[in-house]
Amino acid sequence: MFLIDELSENRLESSLLIKFMLAVLLSVAMILMDYRESSLAPIRTSLNIMLHPLQVVVDLPFRAANNVIAFFKNHSKMMEENQKLETLVGIYAARDQKYHSIAQENIRFRKQLNATPAVQERFMLAEILSVSRDQHRKTVTIDKGAEDGLYQGQVVLAGNSIYGQIYSVAPASAVILQLTDSRHAIPVRNNRTGLGAIAVGSGNTNQLELKNIEANIDIKAGDTFFSSGLGQLFPADFPVATVASVAYNPGDSFMRVKARTMVDFSKSREVILIWRSNHLTVLRAANAEAKEKP
Amino acid sequence: MESFILRFRGAILASILTAFALTLLPIPDQLLIWRPEWVALTLVHWVLVMPRRVSIMLAWFAGLLLDALYNSSLGQHALGLSVVVFITMRLRLRINVFTLTHQLTVLLVALGSYMLINLWVLGFTGNSPAAWLYWLSLAGSLIIWPFYHWAMTRVFMTLNRFDD
Repeated sequence: MFLIDELSENRLESSLLIKFMLAVLLSVAMILMDYRESSLAPIRTSLNIMLHPLQVVVDLPFRAANNVIAFFKNHSKMMEENQKLETLVGIYAARDQKYHSIAQENIRFRKQLNATPAVQERFMLAEILSVSRDQHRKTVTIDKGAEDGLYQGQVVLAGNSIYGQIYSVAPASAVILQLTDSRHAIPVRNNRTGLGAIAVGSGNTNQLELKNIEANIDIKAGDTFFSSGLGQLFPADFPVATVASVAYNPGDSFMRVKARTMVDFSKSREVILIWRSNHLTVLRAANAEAKEKP
Repeated sequence: MESFILRFRGAILASILTAFALTLLPIPDQLLIWRPEWVALTLVHWVLVMPRRVSIMLAWFAGLLLDALYNSSLGQHALGLSVVVFITMRLRLRINVFTLTHQLTVLLVALGSYMLINLWVLGFTGNSPAAWLYWLSLAGSLIIWPFYHWAMTRVFMTLNRFDD
């Protein structure tokens, strides 16, 4: 009995080593491939499809709890809120009317000038299914995907400011890269001085870093940065962040500027996806890039 | 003969699914840096208790799913978890499996290598995490281990009544 156990233990060990070497080689090859090019995207997509039911199941109790809380909310408070919202809708309807007349006027003028039509946009609301549990990646998964017409590189808003962009798409879900991810950068413009800069994600919640701001440039805490529309991905003039602190070490060439995002990434549950009329050009550019690579 | 057996068929798969659910669970940002490596803990538990039921391939595939979940480089956690299972399988023969201090030592070595590998791959792909806060999740894993180990034994295993 003892002998057999010993023998099988030995065989287990040697086959273990072979399997381990195989796993290591395979993983390293995949890491290198994933780093050099995105040829592993189909694998990632199919893994995401497998994970999707689990994400929905984990999200379910939290959604149910939210619904229950909403159901038992104080009735008078709801009435009050409802009244407030109705007034708001009234105000917005009036504003909308004004907007329509201006839009009509704009179309007329553009016809007269033979100018190209202005950017047409379409919106869709999506709910956040799960937040990346990795501290170094600021990504979230939403409940809309390729079936709803989402595409890689699509701009995502929350409220009236920019939230991020779509990083990868699966049939029924998509991953959004937040502004604060350390791989993300967005061209911005200082509302007070007009200075252009690049806001790079810091990897910390709600915090961006403004890069390459020289020491003699006029910038101070409280300045608001809007998207500049350079780079053609993000629409211009959406608020992005306010400067939280400006620090300068004598001897450095650049200042360390930290900014707080307008969106509170720890609180938002819903995001807005936009389709801009230029999204076809974005898609084509992405496709051309993908074709060039291999 | 083993004194514990699985409570039901597929208990190992069920426990790994539970670990994924725990990983997905939304928790406040302050606790996030302490979050234990649930999947790695689960694998270590099974290797210590039932080494024949866990294979490196299972760990590798779980790691691949974890990569998809984290949006990290494909293969990063797959490599890490394979190393965890390999190290635990080798060390398991040299310790007393049911002594807490021995378990914690194995855990420290296995999870330490796992996180070191993650750190290397993150650095290689240009996303080095900030400072020593990175290692808090290792501490979190070690702290939660006794409770988790106990709970796993209670939920997924039962005493072998045909023990001889």
